[in-house]
Order: sequence, then C-alpha cells, then structure tokens
Amino acid sequence: MRQSPLPRILLLCLIASCLSAFALGQSVVKGKITDQSTGEAIQGVTISVKGTNDGTMSDAGGNYSISVGSANAILVFSFTGYTTQEISVAGKSEINVILATAAASLSEVVVVGYGTQQKKDVTGAVASVKGSEIQNLPVSGATQALQGRSAGVNVVRNGGSPGNAGSIRIRGTGTINNADPLVIIDGVPAGGLNSVNPNDIESIEVLKDASASAIYGTRAANGVVIVTTRRGGYEQPSRLTINAYTGTSSVIKTLDMLDAPTLVELKKERYTNDGLPVNEVWNNPDNLVQRTNWQDALFRKGKVNNVDVSVAGGGVNSSYMLSGGYYDEQGVITNSYFRRLSVRLNSDHKIGKRLKIGESIQLTNSRDNALNTLSAQTGVIWSAIRFMPFIPVTYDDGTWGTSKASNEYGDINNPVFTAATTDAANINNRILGNVTAELEIIKGLKLKANLGLDANHYTAKNFSIIITDQTRTNNNNELSRSFSESYSLLGEYFLSYNKIFADKHKVDVVGGYTAQSFNGDYFSAAKRDFINENSNQRYLDVGQTLRAIGGNRTYDALSSWFGRINYDFDKRYLLTATFRADGSSKFADDNKWGYFPAFSAGWRISNEQFFKNVTFFDELKLTGGWGQLGNQNVASLQYLALIGGGHRYSFGNNTVVGSTQSRIPNLNISWETAEMTNIGLTAEMLSRTLQVNINYFIKNTKDMLLAPPTVGTIGIAAVPDQNVGILRNQGLEIDLTYRNSAGAFNYSLSGNAAFIKNKVIKLYDGNYIGSVFYGRPNQEISRTYEGHPIGVFYGWKTDGLYQTQDDIDKDANIANDSRRTDGLIRPGDVRFIDLNNDGIINEDDRTILGSPHPKVVYGFNANLEYKGFDLTLFFLGNAGLSIFNADRMQGLDPTYSFNMYAETKDRWTGAGTSNTIPRMTTLRNNLNYRTSDMFIEKGDFLRLKNAVLGYTLPAGLTAKVGISKLRVYITGQNVFTFTKYSGLDPELGYTDGNRQINVDYAQYPQSRSWTFGLNVTF
Amino acid sequence: MKYNIYIPVYALILIATAGCSKKFLESTPYGQSTSADFWRNADDAIAASNALYSYLGDEYLYAHTEQTWDICSDDQWRAGDHPEDQAIEDFTYDPSNVQLNDSWARKYEVISRANAVLINVPDIDMDQTLKNRILGEAHFMRGFMYWLFYKIYGQVPLILEEDAIANNFNKPKASLDSMKLIIENDWLQAADLLQEQYDAANIGRATKGAAWGFLAKFYVYQENWPKAIEYGNKVINGPYPLAGSFGDNFKPDTKNNPEMLFAIQCTDGWTENVASIYYGPRPWGGWGFQEPIQDLADEFEPDDPRRKYSIAGVGDIIDIGGSSGPTAVPAGLTNTGYFFRKYNSWREDGGLDNNMNIPILRAADVYLLVAEAKIRSSQDGDAEINAVRDRNGLPDVENATMEDLMHERRVELAGENERHQDLMRWSKAGLINLPAHYAIPRGTFKPARTFNVPKNYLFPIPQRQIDLSNGVLVQNPDFD
Repeated sequence: MRQSPLPRILLLCLIASCLSAFALGQSVVKGKITDQSTGEAIQGVTISVKGTNDGTMSDAGGNYSISVGSANAILVFSFTGYTTQEISVAGKSEINVILATAAASLSEVVVVGYGTQQKKDVTGAVASVKGSEIQNLPVSGATQALQGRSAGVNVVRNGGSPGNAGSIRIRGTGTINNADPLVIIDGVPAGGLNSVNPNDIESIEVLKDASASAIYGTRAANGVVIVTTRRGGYEQPSRLTINAYTGTSSVIKTLDMLDAPTLVELKKERYTNDGLPVNEVWNNPDNLVQRTNWQDALFRKGKVNNVDVSVAGGGVNSSYMLSGGYYDEQGVITNSYFRRLSVRLNSDHKIGKRLKIGESIQLTNSRDNALNTLSAQTGVIWSAIRFMPFIPVTYDDGTWGTSKASNEYGDINNPVFTAATTDAANINNRILGNVTAELEIIKGLKLKANLGLDANHYTAKNFSIIITDQTRTNNNNELSRSFSESYSLLGEYFLSYNKIFADKHKVDVVGGYTAQSFNGDYFSAAKRDFINENSNQRYLDVGQTLRAIGGNRTYDALSSWFGRINYDFDKRYLLTATFRADGSSKFADDNKWGYFPAFSAGWRISNEQFFKNVTFFDELKLTGGWGQLGNQNVASLQYLALIGGGHRYSFGNNTVVGSTQSRIPNLNISWETAEMTNIGLTAEMLSRTLQVNINYFIKNTKDMLLAPPTVGTIGIAAVPDQNVGILRNQGLEIDLTYRNSAGAFNYSLSGNAAFIKNKVIKLYDGNYIGSVFYGRPNQEISRTYEGHPIGVFYGWKTDGLYQTQDDIDKDANIANDSRRTDGLIRPGDVRFIDLNNDGIINEDDRTILGSPHPKVVYGFNANLEYKGFDLTLFFLGNAGLSIFNADRMQGLDPTYSFNMYAETKDRWTGAGTSNTIPRMTTLRNNLNYRTSDMFIEKGDFLRLKNAVLGYTLPAGLTAKVGISKLRVYITGQNVFTFTKYSGLDPELGYTDGNRQINVDYAQYPQSRSWTFGLNVTF
Repeated sequence: MKYNIYIPVYALILIATAGCSKKFLESTPYGQSTSADFWRNADDAIAASNALYSYLGDEYLYAHTEQTWDICSDDQWRAGDHPEDQAIEDFTYDPSNVQLNDSWARKYEVISRANAVLINVPDIDMDQTLKNRILGEAHFMRGFMYWLFYKIYGQVPLILEEDAIANNFNKPKASLDSMKLIIENDWLQAADLLQEQYDAANIGRATKGAAWGFLAKFYVYQENWPKAIEYGNKVINGPYPLAGSFGDNFKPDTKNNPEMLFAIQCTDGWTENVASIYYGPRPWGGWGFQEPIQDLADEFEPDDPRRKYSIAGVGDIIDIGGSSGPTAVPAGLTNTGYFFRKYNSWREDGGLDNNMNIPILRAADVYLLVAEAKIRSSQDGDAEINAVRDRNGLPDVENATMEDLMHERRVELAGENERHQDLMRWSKAGLINLPAHYAIPRGTFKPARTFNVPKNYLFPIPQRQIDLSNGVLVQNPDFD
C-alpha cells in the first residue's frame, strides 16, 4: 500500500519553517488603509507580497500586518472597485495607504493571441479564468477544473476514469468531426492541457468568437484556450510555496440488480412463459445462494494525493519561477490510475534596455491506465452489472469465480479478475517549452520571436495473461510494447507597433509569420508465449514467439502569415481587423491554402458625453464582430490512395502477409470553415460590484469534414474525410459576477449560463450520418439528420404494454403484421407505434426520439470570506437534455444470459401488473428491447461540484515561525447531485467522436472525493 | 535520440526556409505505398493475392457469421448466447438482425480486393503462369463471395472492375440473371487460370479443383444436370481423391489432404481459428455455439464412424491435452449433449488448437453433388454415393434414390453449412415439403417452427445498408 506523502511533507514544512525563520530575515510591515474620497478605513483589502502567494487582509479598522522576506519586497494592495497599488517596502516597517476608486476594473489585462489587451479594449468574446480559482482541486488537470467556469465553455466529462480530462466544447459542438479547441500553453500550440500542473497556472483565457481567435486562424474554428503559467517578478525576494493535499474517493452510486434467488426465479419464468423446458442449470440449488454484489466487489476506495513546491523570485535583470509537483490519483477500480510528475522553470531576462529574453520549460512524466468501460461485451462495469450473483469472487480454493459452467451464465469474464489481472500502462514523457525574444527597435515598435518545442515520448505496455478458467479464454500470453516519439517545432516572428496619435487615435498593429511542423515516429513489438508470467518476467526478451513488429513515421506542417490592427478612437470607438493566410500539409496542392478574415468593433457607451450623467452604469460597452476560421484537424494524406500491408494468412502452415488498399482517396479534401458572428454587451453597475457580460453568437460551420459511415459495398477500406455539410450553433451566453463586503465578511457570487442550439443545416448527400452500434445486437441509437442537432436518438415509439390478447387483436398498430397472426406477439409485450399507418411494425416506423444536447449549461459559484475563513461552493448543471440509457435497455432484456436490473421484479405477469416492464421470455419475436423511447430519460442535473472550506492562520501568528501564510482546507468534489436520471452518472460524454453523446454504456462514473490539504508560503 | 540535439538547428532552418519552401507543407506517406507506386511487380501481385484470403477467417465473415445461416436447419440448435440467433433459428428475423449486416461489408471487402487484382495485375510485367494463377484466384474469390450473397440474399449490388474504377458503389440490386452470370463466369475463368495443385508453400490457394467443385454445386443449384456432372467429374477424375479416413479432414496434421478442395488455412501463433472457439464447448475453452441435436445424431447409421468425427456426444473420448488428456465427454458439457467436433482439436499442452482449418468445400461434397445430378436426371448415382460410404466401411446402396442421397449428404456434411441450403433447394424442386418438415418438433432444442414460403427462402437485405443507400437498395419481398 502506498504511503500518503503528507507526513513527509509536514516534516519538510517544519524543517523548512525553522530554517527560514532564521535564514530569511523576516520583517513585519504594518499600516492602515483608507479611502481617498471619504478618508474612512477600508476593511478587506488584500495585501500581498508581489511574486509570492503571501497575503493578508485589512481588518475592520483598515489595519494590516504582513511579514515580508526582504527589505526590497513590493506590497500589492487590492480591493474590488479600487485601483490596485504597488508599494516597495524599501526597509520601512509602517506603510499607510490611501486607495482611490478604480477608474475601471476593466483595466485587467487579458492575454489574447500574440499579445495582451486591456479588458476594456477587447471587442471579441474572451472568457478569463484565474489560476487561483482552480488551484488545489482534486482533479488531474485544468480541463476538468474549467468545467462550468464560464458561459459557452462547456467541459464534457467522458466518464470519471482517472486522468480522463473530458472534452472542451466552446460555443457548442462546432463540427461533427474533432471539435476540440486549440490549446496554447505559454505561446506554444500544444494539444492537451492536462500535462500542466493546475497549480502552475496563472490564468486561462478562452477566445470564443471569430474576432478574438482569428489570429490563430488555422486551428481556431473551435475556439482557443490560452494557458499562461506563473512567472517570477523582477526585484522580488525568493519565496517558497508548498501545496499538499490528500484524500479518498468513492463511487457515488451502484445499480440495483437482482439477487440470486430472484434471478433464478425470473430465469425459469422466461422458459415457462415460452412453454419451453427450463434449462437444467436453473434447478441447481447452489444458484439460489446470493454470493456477490459484483459492483461492490469491483469498486474500491480511490485515493488522490498531490504535492507541489514552487520557488519564485527575481533580481534586477532576471526573474524565475521553479516548481515541481507530484499528482497521484488511484481510481475507484483496481488498476485505473493517473500519476504525473512535473517540473517547470519559467524565467525572464533583460539584456540591456532593448532586449528581453524569456523561456518556459515544462518537463512531465505521466503514467496512467484506463480500463475498458465502453464495451457492451467486455467493459468491466458493464460486466459487473451483469455477472451472475451466485458466483463468488473467488472459490474456496482461491481460484477466480467463473461463468464457464454454462452459456446460460453469459459470455462474461469475472470483472474483478479482469481488473486485477490487467497489466497495462501508458507513459508519456514530455518536454514543452519555448524561448522568446523581444527587441524594441524604436519606441513602440517591437520585433518578437518565439521558438517552441513540444516533444513527447509515449510508451505503452500491455501484458495479457493466459486465461483458461474464464469464458473468454486466451490461449497465449502476450506482451505488446510500443514506443512513439512526436516532436513539434514552432517558429514564429512578428512585429508589433503601438502609438497614440493626436491623443485620440490609438493604434496597435501586430503582424508576422508562424510555422509549425509535426513529426511522429513509431515503433511497436509484441511477443507471445512467456513461460513464466511473473511480473519480473514480463519483458520482450522472455517471450518465445514473435507476434508482431511495426513502425512508422508521420509528418505534417502548417505555415501562416497573420496580421491584426486594433484602432481606438477617443476611448469610445474600437475597431479590430484580423487576417490570416494558412497553409496545411493535410490537403493536396490545389487546396493547401485557406484565407481567413475577421473584423470587430466596440462602442464604449459609458465614455460618451451623453452618458456622463448616467450613474447607474460605471461601464457599458457594446461589441460586434464577424469572422471566418479554419479547421484542418483531420488525418493526413487523405488525398492519396494508400496501400496497407500486414494482412496475415498462411498456406499450409507457411505464414504470409498480404497488401491491399487501406484508404480510398479524396482528391478534393479541403478546409472546413467556421463563420461566426458575435454581439456582446459588457456592463459594470452598482459601483462596480456587479459585472454583466452578455454575448449572442451565430456560428456556421461550412464544408464540415467528416468520414461518414458509407454503404458496405465499398468494403472496409477507410473512407476519407469529405466536406459533408453545414452545421449551425447559435446561442446566448450570460456571465454575472457580484462582489461585495459587509464588515469583515467578503463575498462574491457569480453565475454563468449558456443557451446554445446546435443544428445541422445541410448534409450534402441528403442522407443521415450514422454512429456506432450498441452492444452485441448492434443496436443503432444515434443519427445525425439535417434540420436537427448532431447525434439525435433514433428508434421506435412505444405506448405501454399489451395487457390482454384482446388488446393485441384490436390494435391497429399491428393490424397487418404477420407476427400478430402467427401468434408471436403476446400480452406483456411492448406496444410499438405504427407511425406510417400500414398496420405493420417495422423499420419504417422509426423516428427521431430526442436530443442529447442540453438547452442550458450553467455554473454558479459562491466565495465567502470571513476573517481567516474561506468557503467556496461551486455548482454546475445541465438542463433540457435527454439521455439514452442503453445499459438499462440491455439490463431489462431477459433474452440475454445476464443478470437483470432489479426493476424486473415488477415485470408484467398478468393483465394490469405492469405497463412499463415487459414479460419474461427467451424469445425476441416482438423485439421488446429495440431502440425505443422506453429508454430515454431526462438527463438534467445540478451538481455541487466543489465545496472548499479553508482557514488561513493569522499572519501575525505564523510569522513567528517564519511562515508568511498557512492555509488548511478541506475540499469535497461531486458532493451531491440532484438528478432524476436512473443510471450511475448523468455525465456520460461522447462515445463516438461527436456523433454520439449521452448514451449510457455504464461508463466509468465520476466519484465523490474528499481531500484535506494545506498551503504554506515561506 | 541523436537528432534531438539538432532540434534547435532544425528550428532555425525551419524558420529560415519555411516561408519560401514549398516542401515544408509536403507530407509523405512513410512506410505506406500509394496505389500509384504499388502494382510494380510479381511480389506486389502476390501480396495482393494473399490479401484475398486473409479476411476469410474473420469472426464476422466465414469463421462465424456465415456459419449462422445453418442454425435454421434441423441439424443443430443455435446454443451460444447471441439472442439475435433465436430469431434466425425461428424464422422471425427482421432486417435489423445484426447477423445480416455483420458479413455484408466484409464480403464486399474481399470483392474489392479481387477487383483491385483484376484491374491492376494484367498490366504487370511478370511470369505468365504466376499472373494467371493470381488472376484466377481473384476470379475464384469474387465468385465465391457473390455465391455467398446469392444463397443468403438472392440479389445484391454487383460491384465489378468498372464500378471500382468509377467509385460507383451505391448501386441497386443486380438482376438474378446477372448474379448467376457473374458467379458462373468468375468460376469458369478461375477454372481456366488456376493450377490443379500447388507446392507445399502454396497449398491452400484456390485450385482448378476448387473452382470445378463450386461450379458443380452452382449447376446443381441451377438444376443444370449435364454441367453439374461434367464439372463434378473433373474433380472426381482429378488429383483430389477422398482421404483414407473421413476424420483426416478435421485434424491439424492432415488438414490439407487432397480431398479438402478449399478451406480457410489457420496457423497457431499467426492467425486465430475463431470458428473453433465458437463451436468448442465452453468448459473446454470454446464459446459453445451451434450444438448438434439428437435428431442429427439419430440420422447416422449405427456403425457409421462419421458420427464421432462429426459430432462428439456424451461418453466419447476426446483428447483435450494439458493435464486432462483423453477425456470422456461429460454430461452437461453442452446443452444438447453434443458438439460439432469437426471444428475442434486441442493442443498437447491444452487449449484449442489454432492449426485446425475451417473447411469450406470437400471432394466428398462434389461426389454427392454428381450423384444427385445423376439421380435427378434419371441416371445411376450409386458409384459416387458408395465412394463416399465405402471409406467408412458402410454397405453399398443400390439404385440410390433421392432419399438415400439426402441421408448421405446430411451425415457426410453435418455441420458444414449445407443442410438448410440443401433443404431449401429440394423444397423449391418439390422434393420435400419444407414448411411441414420444419413444423415437426424435434425435442427440447428444436420446437416446431413456421417456415413461410417464399418469404423465408431468402434473408432480408440488412436494414443498415438500405438506410445508408438512401433509397437505392430495395428490400427483399415480404420484408418491407
């Protein structure tokens, strides 16, 4: 058992605090803070030491006391509605401060592509999340932490497996193909953001509309997420900060299944109802003994531990931030885990007056394993739900329980065995970094360069053991290893110029060139027949039979010219124009280049003369924009007909391989274009305590790239992506924040909601786009049709159950159905609706049954602070969506040789007994469990995602032991959920790219976790 | 990892050259050929011919799904745990039944590979004998796939060379005559181009004998007796003698004896024999599908050694290897008490032996087809029937009737996917009354079933394919 690192950390803290008390020469600064206009004391002002996490707050008398590590420290005084001040300590022990009401709290700076902008000048739709909001949440990465933070930034959780980040969807699902946004980490377009330690993050900006994101034209069609990590400050003393938390997690709920005696009773009833002799195995009295609740046997208590340490500071010409972190999450199922070790070094240097050089380097090692929880034939949770309850986990002789005795027990392997014997890992070593240089040529004109590298080394291992005593056997043990290396090089050069002409004309221009290449190199090998399966023998050298060796290489590249002009007239009228020319190796020569313009304008109404007398609004800005963005996020080389080898066969026992066409080419494949229009309103009211941000957008994605399922006459060669149609997302986003204080009580309440409609406007071939099938009977659940959202549910409508033979005889739905005349439909079967009125229930009676997309996605956050205490409650919710509960569809179906949902106790057994749960039968003559509205449920939920209660010890107390800040806290994750959904978890996510969402496969559910942590700064 | 050192250098070069270099945006299909640089020589042609075979053993092609159609017969119970098989067995299948769609695209994949060979190989400069063989294999395999389609669905879209060139895939169903024509033509051409036998390195490739045998079967289905006899006799008079022992056909060591005209070749450690897993009893490492019923066991004459080679029953001694070794089949090993032994063999160290082949066509089948053609054209079929009976030490039949032939086919080919098709064609010919035959209850595992004529002579076109075709594919009669 792994030891919690916490005791070690506490010891470390103790030693460090003793040392620092003597070594760092702590001194205490005191003072009083007053309001400039009233002269009254201000309570609740945050006083922090710049470049550190140290901080305190002024009391009711406006007094504060803070310990600083250096006589050169800079204190930052900030409070909502007031202009932040920075004052150098310069050896003083008393500093009194007068704060002035802020001219605009919109003076906050936000990071936009190739630069920063003041919030008040932004004409596009940009959401900003501060790193402090997402620190120390017990999640593996910032993606999960972004969920619910801002309107229109939806994080779809694809189950709760450790390390499974989920999918970010900005302003709806922008395309049926890959709709992931572009993630930029410190200036490097870098794929996923979960290798970044969330505690290293200073801020996350989400560029939502075309105007904001067009500068990243090539890959911005689905939005851009810009992650900025923390940096040291010049002339700052070195500060050491330690974060540590530890906790446990457990599954929120399990499904009620039949116990052994009831199951046997129902299994027998299936046969007697059909007039068939009962299969002998159900007369075995041993099967009446309830032995195992397989879900309880499979799920365990998970664990989460995190420790990270950072040092930050700087001198006159250089600053740095060095951090190291370790995150370890053990999931609620054995052998599901995510671990990450990360080191980051960010530094900045001034060389002379004109040149600045900076660098960010991140090294990470992550290791994870996710068990299969999506297969409706072998998924471990799916298996646990269905495994026979009279089979023990292990028999008395220690061997694993098995369903092998009879095919009445299902073709399932013991899920506890499967989880316990899984030996697989994915390991990723990553170097992500860049060097930037900025040369000021003349005042206002800067030449910048950014050279970046994202190098990944992935290794995967999977050892499958010989399985003889389970139903799904494995004759040969096998070890497969794969090694792949991907490195991406980024080079960009750009010029920026800004100047104010004649006081009123402010111009800001940026333009340049960027290119990025993507190289991949892959090698894999597999061997069989390991005589010894001991863990120290699971290496390729030991395997006796070579199974496979493979290797390959990939290359892709993008290059672009871009430019942007921001023009501000008299702080009233704002204009932004962006243009980008993008070339991509994904397309053939004639289609390589795409051109993407964007424009936006803003009107700061509150700066107009006629608005001077309006006191209700402190700030009011109206913005509008339009632009086009490109998407080329599809497989490479699709314009070529590829021949793939390696198809195995043998003649006699002489092994051979064959080659055949592996992909049909699409010579015309070209850019997918998203065209977006945005109208926004930003307001600050009530003395800037209330901030409102409202955006309305329409986003049309044209020439959507997709490889649709196609007629089987093609064979199985991969069908290329084609430009298949037009998709529209339109919606309204509302963000509200209210901050205020009452005495020592500070609070902020914020909420956001996005109402987004997704609709396929056109599919070029006029047909639908299919999705994956569910389970062994290949049930179709989701389709994408013109005029409807992506991935609507498709199947039959029902109207209860037939109660009597008379119901059947008189039912118009089946008046001409031969199954009725052949006596194949019985009382207790489902009444399907004959939509085309031909008196026959068949495939022509299918229709669209519901949409999996929420009408509204919302979040609500409350931060309360009182003296040293802080409480954060963060809720998120989805409303107005349907879930297709496929697991229940199969779980009620008695024709499978599986355990059934406990609901089947209330099945139909005679007229009037049930109108919802059909009779027991072994026959599928009426197909009671075809895809129908019987399995559609409301998927609305409201979840208390995070609750954090913290206490910061008084600075005066901790300063005595050299600690400038010590905060302890407990965090609850997924504390409670309001939902009527009957499955394990309403957050189901995607199961086939974007073509299928919110279908319940018994995915890995989210767990509830409680963690305890502390945060220490020296 | 040497080149990582040069990354900064690369980065600089990238920046310096990317803008003006067209090459920067050129990608290369490393490690893969494009159709433009394949089809160069004999090696490429051989690789393409190998790919014709490599898909046959797929679970959803011949290793399992194509075996499913015979659970309709009176020989076997579906067993296993695929609920959709119940509808197939009971003739209540609907167009969405998963088995219908599973093998559809896979068969067309083999057709696509055959079309690619037929389009590209003629232009390759290579040894003519080898070229002929490869073209013959492509014709053979395409004919075989359309034969499977023809038997199950009747009419399907015909995708030929010109359609592949024109990317013309969403086609309506071909006429029945064109279905038959393409099957016949492909197999006739295969018979011309293929060789009679191959060396050890190529044993298992389609031979003239395989093409002749299938032609004989095709002509029997068309009731073209002279041609059936003509092509059947080519097999009987060719280098394809019956194996000394019936059981030799179903053992890893003798799997490629000359009687085995065509089989899916499996090699342990390289390919997996999925059929063997499906048919094997569960406690012995299989999944326990498609179990013979007592009615079939009763069909065997008391001293017929074929019974224990074809279907193992309680008390039969089977060597399952490992620590168990030779083991008597216990009661309860399978539901019906029997399993099709033809598909199973166990390794010495235990576990199912993947070196078993999956039989598709045997010379013995062709003997019986010739016998049937002779009997049904008022000739004497005794010689062919007795050739099949003799090796089992069974007494000769004299003036064999169709009844004798039906018996002989049932026991000789038990479990080899012929029975339901045989019954249907005899029913169409008025030789038997199939609805009445299937209405007879045959014990616990085969209650009476309703067989609708003509509806159930065919299976419906998979609904998925009809939906995807957007109105081009039309459902078979009585299924829409």
